[in-house]
Amino acid sequence: MNNTLALLGLLGREPSYGYDLKHSYDRYFGVQKPLAFGQVYSTLARMFRDDLIMALGEESGGGPDRKKYEITLTGRDKVRQWLFTPDVPSETLQSELFAKTVIALLLDDDADGLLDAQRAEHMARMRELTRLKRDADLLQVLMCDHGLFHIEADLRWIELTSARLTQLKKELQSA
Amino acid sequence: MNPAVLKMALLGSRSSWGRMAGIGGGVAIGVCLVLLLWSAANGLAQRDARGAWLREMGQTSVNVPLAADGRTVNGPPEPIPLTPETILLGSLQDVFRDQVISHRDIAALPGATVKIPGIAAPPAPGQYYASPALQRLIESTPAGELGDRYGKFAGVIDDSALPGPDALVVISGATEAQLRQGPAAMLVTEFTTNPYGESAGLYRTALLVGGIAVLFPVLLLVSIATGLGAAQRRERFATLRLIGASPRLVAGMAAVETAIPSLAGALLGVVMAVAFRPAAAQIPVNGTRVFLADFTFGAGFAVTAVVLVSAACALVAARRTARTGIGPLGATRAMTEKTPTVWRAVPLLAGLAGMATGAVLTKVDTDGIPWTSALLIGGFALTSVGIVTIGPWLTRMVSTIGLHRARRASTVIAASRIRQTPVATFRSVSGLVIAVFMVSVFAGGISAIGTVETPEARPGLLLPTSVYALVAPAYTPGQVASVARSTKELAGIRDTTIGYAKTPLGQGDTMDIYIAANDAPSLGFGDPGSDKIVSFDASFLNAWTSTPVSLAAAPLVSLEGLVPVVMVVRTDGTPAAIDRARTALDASGVTATPGTSPADLAIMSNTRLIQGLAAHAYIGVFVAVVVAGISLAVSTAAAILDRKRVLGLMRLMGMPVSVLRKVIVQEAAVPLLAVLLLSVGLGFLVAWLMISSFGGGRTISWPSTEYYAALSFSLLLALAAVAATFGLVRSNTAITATRFE
Amino acid sequence: MSLIDTTTPILSARGVHHAFGQTEALRGIDVDVHAGEVLAVMGPSGSGKSTLLHCLAGILAPVRGTVAYAPPGLNPVNISGLGETERSRLRLTDFGFVFQFGQLLPELTALDNVSLPLLLGGTKRAEARQRSEELLERLGLNGFAAKLPGELSGGQAQRAAIARALVTSPAVLFADEPTGSLDSLAAENVLTLMLDLVREAGTTVVMITHDARTAAYADREVIVRDGIISAGYRVPA
Repeated sequence: MNNTLALLGLLGREPSYGYDLKHSYDRYFGVQKPLAFGQVYSTLARMFRDDLIMALGEESGGGPDRKKYEITLTGRDKVRQWLFTPDVPSETLQSELFAKTVIALLLDDDADGLLDAQRAEHMARMRELTRLKRDADLLQVLMCDHGLFHIEADLRWIELTSARLTQLKKELQSA
Repeated sequence: MNPAVLKMALLGSRSSWGRMAGIGGGVAIGVCLVLLLWSAANGLAQRDARGAWLREMGQTSVNVPLAADGRTVNGPPEPIPLTPETILLGSLQDVFRDQVISHRDIAALPGATVKIPGIAAPPAPGQYYASPALQRLIESTPAGELGDRYGKFAGVIDDSALPGPDALVVISGATEAQLRQGPAAMLVTEFTTNPYGESAGLYRTALLVGGIAVLFPVLLLVSIATGLGAAQRRERFATLRLIGASPRLVAGMAAVETAIPSLAGALLGVVMAVAFRPAAAQIPVNGTRVFLADFTFGAGFAVTAVVLVSAACALVAARRTARTGIGPLGATRAMTEKTPTVWRAVPLLAGLAGMATGAVLTKVDTDGIPWTSALLIGGFALTSVGIVTIGPWLTRMVSTIGLHRARRASTVIAASRIRQTPVATFRSVSGLVIAVFMVSVFAGGISAIGTVETPEARPGLLLPTSVYALVAPAYTPGQVASVARSTKELAGIRDTTIGYAKTPLGQGDTMDIYIAANDAPSLGFGDPGSDKIVSFDASFLNAWTSTPVSLAAAPLVSLEGLVPVVMVVRTDGTPAAIDRARTALDASGVTATPGTSPADLAIMSNTRLIQGLAAHAYIGVFVAVVVAGISLAVSTAAAILDRKRVLGLMRLMGMPVSVLRKVIVQEAAVPLLAVLLLSVGLGFLVAWLMISSFGGGRTISWPSTEYYAALSFSLLLALAAVAATFGLVRSNTAITATRFE
Repeated sequence: MSLIDTTTPILSARGVHHAFGQTEALRGIDVDVHAGEVLAVMGPSGSGKSTLLHCLAGILAPVRGTVAYAPPGLNPVNISGLGETERSRLRLTDFGFVFQFGQLLPELTALDNVSLPLLLGGTKRAEARQRSEELLERLGLNGFAAKLPGELSGGQAQRAAIARALVTSPAVLFADEPTGSLDSLAAENVLTLMLDLVREAGTTVVMITHDARTAAYADREVIVRDGIISAGYRVPA
């Protein structure tokens, strides 16, 4: 997820201090991985430099944590652009696993076991997310579901790949 | 429809052998019954045509001179002389044991030209022609009991003049003088060929009503059979609709699928009818069978029946499929049944009201308004329909009550299903219900007619063991007495008594018969006291006299000068002795009437005819009940097969097979019992309405044992029909039934 | 997860073989189901999942091998050796079943459908209705008790089926694609309600699914492939 744009979007609601901003972010998005203060302030500084936000009020003598920021018009445009531009699906995991499978097949190693191991890992993660959902509020549930669906998609790919391993091996060896 | 689709329809129907067999079997039974009933109707018509000549009455053989006013008899009757163009015919009903013999006495001039049916020439006096059945009887019986009545055998009567192979007919020769002594010798120039006017019409009507009663369950069976496997068929048709078949095409396929087995069934029915024809022709109607050659259906009729039945089945199937409204996603309307309302009672109430009105009208106006019978028959038909109409409503009521009171799982399932589908549930038992209604009507009607009791010996009435014959006018007391003496010598004869009168019977005014007082006990009278001659009224002889005739002292001192008019033979009561007495009297030559016993009334009365009809009614009911039982089995099987997936899941859940069986039993028992009592009650009510409208002071009484037997048989059959499907429960609810494909 | 007793399996299959005619469906299955756990059985179509479930539940008697059932606090019995009547009885009292669809009697109301197993077990109708009503309420079907299955939505019908499976408080609940005919949200609601009830009562669940998200509700999964249990996680040698 793009942290910069998420923070910028939060600022779009109302002018806010960096401290409050971090807590807002954590409340909505940071359940799994809270944002560090340092990261928040460096991001704010970068956005300030790019004219996406501006500082409010006359307390200019204080540190960054004493400053209240407001989104600029450029900033609003940027958020809208982010919101309405579809993301390119992530291929990092897929490419990693694909590479492993191919290498395993080329080395005549246990590609099946490799995929099974990955599947077990995925399932374990899914169970964890499902358990988290039990006592969570709706926003967190939606987050977890998002994760679940992605893992499920990977699992399906694993499922299909393991069903096609023999065929794949033949093609790799003949190539 | 193009050939490819036709092929698909055939392939589709091949997969459901059970359904094909059900339709084919139902249609076969139906067509077979129709053809046999038609054969019976033909046979009866032919029988009446063959026997028509026996009803020839002829013209009077005497001229009664009339006075100038044209009314008053003026002088004794003058015989009309016999010519070669005429013969003299005496028509008699002889009795042997409990059988009636049609006896025709013929006197003809030599070279008479009158054609007598069945024989080449009139028999000479003292000779006789007999039907083969009678001749066999004569040959197997001592001559003194039967053969001596007719003289010398001259030949058999041809089948063309006999109603049936069992007909007992004799044509005997007599002299003109002998015949003119008798009461009713008639002149005949030509024998009639008109078969109408006898009971044929009655039989035909009875046959028609019986035929409807039998065909109703058959139609039901065919309708139930065509509905077999409806669930799978709906799925199959839905798939076809999904891939683009039009509703018309699907209906057409349903028609073809049904037309083929029904055509095969109809043809099989023809074969069955041909095979069963000889057996069915053995069933006697009113005592005699019909000739096998008469018991036949024409080829044209068979072809018409086959075509009509197959076409009707196909049309019904097409219409039903179209009405079910099978869409690409399955049947839309088949699952829900319209809840029966109280309106279903209307036809029944209207029918009963019609019959009641008819019954009341006959009471009010005994002249008989022409449409009272229409009211009665229409009301009867409406009542029959009404029972079937009200059935689902009653069934639903009972199941609703049952559901509220249900304690066990099987009752909850059965009652809920019946509540949801009362029409379909009731349909499976409606055949039995109608059969029970019909048998109750018959039984009620028969109970009112009752039986003619064998008369008991009572003083003042002719003894049941006695045989009497009227003496012809020409004989002297000495001749008659010598006959009496020789008759008394025969085995089993106790006494012979000669009754005298002042004038030959029928010629004088008084009807008093005089006997010697010491003969009175042999006629069953009490002690005559000290008188020498006693008299009694001639009504003493009549079998229908029920008030004892009293003995009076006669103002005479001797029987001198009186004419012998009757001879009474008292026997020991054994059938052989009674027949010996009859034969002795008939052969004596002095009698003018056949020997008659009081017991003959029961043999010749209409009661036998009605009891004969009742026997056929029971045969009809038997067929109807069996067919209805088959329908019940088929529809029960269908109910299991259509639900095998759900029932399979129930079993899988741990429901024992026995509970499923209880469900099946209750689903048949509830509608049956709900309407059975009603149809029994209505049957007797309808019989009572009919009987009371016929008048005659008849009342309904308890039905005969045959009725209870028929009722128990129906219930047993229903039980058997349901039990027969038990095998299906286990095999069709196994785990494989629950798979979704 | 204190309810899981990992020491004694409630169901234990050893060397289970089953064949339909010439087709081998199970080729030597060893599996333990622990008391109180929710076990997902996964695998491709035709792998033998359903056959395994049917063998575990005593619906089918395996050609070879044993299935031992150890009711809580009682000695294990080999259910594949029991007669049809005893196995029926066991299914009625100790096991519950939920399937994909089509399991409710169409002519019975939801309430009557749920009370059926109790009635079969000899419970009085009034009592059976009361218990069924409570369970229907727990499953969010209050107000639908008098409806016929045809008048219920897919999710509602499935919840009624779950109520029926659980009304006898079975020791083991067998579920064959219990949410297979439902959309994601309805499936999730049904699963959550079912598993809440199950975990509360400590009921063991054996659930067939091909859906990973459904399987994620389980404590553990086994994968059936070509009639045997797939090895799962293995460290490469």
